[in-house]
Amino acid sequence: MTSKLAIARLSKSFGELEALRGISLDVERGEFISVVGPSGCGKTTFLRIVAGLEHATAGDVLLDGRAVKEPGRDRGFVFQNDSLLPWRTVFANAIIGREVAGPIGSDDRKRTMELLKLVGLEGFEHYHPRQLSGGMRQRVNLARALAIDPDILLMDEPFAALDAQTREIMQTELLRIWERGHKTVLFVTHQIDEAVFLSDRVLVFARRPGRVQAEVTIPLPRPRTLDMKRTPQFVALVDRIWRMIEDDVRAAALYENA
Amino acid sequence: MSATSEGVKAATPPESRPVEAAPAPQIDAQALRRRFAGLLSVAGGLLLWELISRLLIDNALFLAAPSQIALAIYNLTITGQLGHHVAVSALEFVVGYVIGSALGVPLGLAMASSDTVKNACQPWVSGFYATPTVALAPLFILWFGIGIWSKVLVIVTLVLFPVTINTEAGLRTTSERLIEMLRSFGATPWQIFFKVKLPSAVPFILVGLKLGIGRALIGVVVAEFFGSRAGLGRLISQASDAFNMPELFAGVVVLAIAGIVMTAGFTWLEARLVPWTKD
Repeated sequence: MTSKLAIARLSKSFGELEALRGISLDVERGEFISVVGPSGCGKTTFLRIVAGLEHATAGDVLLDGRAVKEPGRDRGFVFQNDSLLPWRTVFANAIIGREVAGPIGSDDRKRTMELLKLVGLEGFEHYHPRQLSGGMRQRVNLARALAIDPDILLMDEPFAALDAQTREIMQTELLRIWERGHKTVLFVTHQIDEAVFLSDRVLVFARRPGRVQAEVTIPLPRPRTLDMKRTPQFVALVDRIWRMIEDDVRAAALYENA
Repeated sequence: MSATSEGVKAATPPESRPVEAAPAPQIDAQALRRRFAGLLSVAGGLLLWELISRLLIDNALFLAAPSQIALAIYNLTITGQLGHHVAVSALEFVVGYVIGSALGVPLGLAMASSDTVKNACQPWVSGFYATPTVALAPLFILWFGIGIWSKVLVIVTLVLFPVTINTEAGLRTTSERLIEMLRSFGATPWQIFFKVKLPSAVPFILVGLKLGIGRALIGVVVAEFFGSRAGLGRLISQASDAFNMPELFAGVVVLAIAGIVMTAGFTWLEARLVPWTKD
């Protein structure tokens, strides 16, 4: 059986700067994979290449055996900033991906309404983004990506701008949605506990150039609940990953302050 | 709304949302005080003007009191003269303004979409925008006579360029994040233009159109000064020649009211069309 997503020896350079070197990854259908690493490790660039928003310098990205060259409706991208159109209502924002694909039918409308309900925004269809909190805007962002019914969700630090409590709520909501739809998810974050809590496997990136330093399988049972974050097993996993990237994070912090 | 109570919010029915709540009474009181201050200021200013022109200057050749101006407006209205002048000026204004805007928006779009067009047009647009083109009014009157078209041309040259510049700026400042979002769904360049670039340029286009109103009014009056049979500019210059201060001010007041009403109309339109720019 071929993997849902097969990435082989992926490299990316921006001129002189080598951003990614030899990334390989196989993702099974329905798997939840996170990528963690210090700033500047190329994790967002990696995700953008899978999305087709950037082109790799070398290597392949195969989705269901087909090479990824440009953005497509088989992948739904959830952005770090919500990127909602301020002049559109919640509903009109959520359906825009469908709209780009062609004329919208009543099925599309029905499906979008169901998704808004799924992400907890029932009753907010006619609100505008400026009337929503940060967490609610990210829910629209997620519904918009799900509305095109993608095979795989690509999430770029979607909860980074939220406060700690909202972030935890969004994490459990995301797991609830994922467990219902069983989409394949590639999730980029700099929060180690977030990656451990959500994922089946965590890919740990190192920086300069960005490369896979380790792959950690998360054996925590599902469905996961927030109290698992306090179990010794969870803390040990977070600690183990933290020690892998600690030196890199310090170096990145120094570099960015210099 | 703070994001802290996210979970609670998502569970609350929409009817009880804070965003739907009416403004607090305290804010109403503040707004009332502010409005009252404005009215008081205008009333006080008019009173001061009335007193100065009656007691201090008291020379009908230099200044007219607000009461005399109001009387002049009344008299000009019942004789039908004012209506005629307003109709002539309004027609010039509307034709010039519509042509200027109808050319300015597409020119701005073309300049934003193509660097070649932009480089070719930029020196002309910047040059004409900076030039007080009302100075060309005598020339246009030589070319087109003292009828409507010389005025229309003056107005077009005044309205066209701010509209062009703002339209172009609006399209060029479209958020890259929003463009990228649409691109992630596989949108074509045309879809990106119509779904993101154009809507996000609307606030800028409206600013250009708003700027155009004031400039077009100046164009109407100044062009009529240089040669015309009727219009508010004609009324003002005739009154000036005859040292008829009340009629001169009557023309100015009507122009001021027209400017205020149209600008207020645009502000209202902005609140309706682009409410997201207000926060």
